[in-house]
Amino acid sequence: MTQKKQPKQWVACQQCDALFDKPLLKQGQSAKCTRCGSVLVERKVDSIERSFHWSLAGLILMLPAILLPLMGVTLAGQHHQASLFDCVLVLIERDFFMIASLLFLFAIAVPIVRLSGALYLSYSFKFNRLKPSLLNFFRAYHHLDHWAMLNVFMLGIVVSMYKLLDDTELSVNLGLLSFILWLVCSTMASAALDQDYIWEELEQAFLEPNTTDEIA
Amino acid sequence: MRTAKSKGLALCPKCHKVNKVVSEPIQCSRCMGSFYQRKYNSLQYTFAWNLAALLAFIPANLYPIMVVYQLGVPKEATILSGIGEFIDHGLYPIAVIIFTASIIVPLMKIIGLFVLVYKVHTGMRLKPNKHSKIYHILEFLGPWSMLDVFVVALMVTIVELGFVTSVAAGPAINYFTITVIFTMFAANSFDPRLLWDKKEIQSKEKNALKTT
Repeated sequence: MTQKKQPKQWVACQQCDALFDKPLLKQGQSAKCTRCGSVLVERKVDSIERSFHWSLAGLILMLPAILLPLMGVTLAGQHHQASLFDCVLVLIERDFFMIASLLFLFAIAVPIVRLSGALYLSYSFKFNRLKPSLLNFFRAYHHLDHWAMLNVFMLGIVVSMYKLLDDTELSVNLGLLSFILWLVCSTMASAALDQDYIWEELEQAFLEPNTTDEIA
Repeated sequence: MRTAKSKGLALCPKCHKVNKVVSEPIQCSRCMGSFYQRKYNSLQYTFAWNLAALLAFIPANLYPIMVVYQLGVPKEATILSGIGEFIDHGLYPIAVIIFTASIIVPLMKIIGLFVLVYKVHTGMRLKPNKHSKIYHILEFLGPWSMLDVFVVALMVTIVELGFVTSVAAGPAINYFTITVIFTMFAANSFDPRLLWDKKEIQSKEKNALKTT
């Protein structure tokens, strides 16, 4: 029996700290904590392939989403339209530095960094180019978990469109379409990335089998 | 219940590896990050961020968040008066969305986290199952309060028709973003495992009382 010779592995629930033996999962299965019901570990289907393609698509869509005008207004014969990047520039021009920097961070910088991070990770796994630096890289990637706010910005666009429809003529541009697609891609890319799998693979590739697992 | 803490183990918050606790802070054997068995000084940090967020929420509601210039005449609107305007114009769904995102959610978050901190501290009527679900909802709702900030940012950029109409952001926008970001920090520094720890201690004390 080869399985018995392996050191015993633990998993702990992130939410309530309950300790379990590590379950063996097939792709698409997930294990739930018996005490609080949150997901313990999950094996996502075809994780590397999917996150590679979603993040690649996201990075391609990034440029039109940021640079093409999202929407425009016409009032009293004057027309004005703006893209996401224009938003940041105009806000800086008019001295609203705080919202300008936050908009840049949450709606442009963080999503881009997360997408390229996911692409780099899945690329290294797909073509088997694992480096020890990936350990640090993936840890840093987790710092940005909460700070991508593309979905909130999307709702913001919808709300301001409603607002503007009230007393102006509103036109929707290609930028909005690519922004929506960009949002879908970045959401799917981060949802497809199987963190447990990546960590385990990295551990097997670069670290000695661990002593902490053997205490029972 | 068997927990990692009771076995002298700790879960790495970044890579979810179970590590042996030798001395705190622990260095994870897999991702090399350092961490604590429970989030460091979780209750104090949550309380402090929360208090700061609550303080910033006051000027956020008092000052105007958006100034609309029509033919050179400025018209100021606070968060609440902006919502009132939507209702006047009959845009009820937007009024509800903005009201939820910019008043109810931040307030619920601040109050909810205060309650959670209080519950963990005193252990009064603690139901870890229910409370950790509440914590999850609060954590999920966090970023959505940025909605108002993004709407104002978009309005400022798009409605720029020279003398006819233009929109400027008011000082409240800064206070409001501070509120939202601080509540996010507060939610991140709260550790739901403390709820279960406290419950475990309570039930042990109860058993000890029964046996004596």
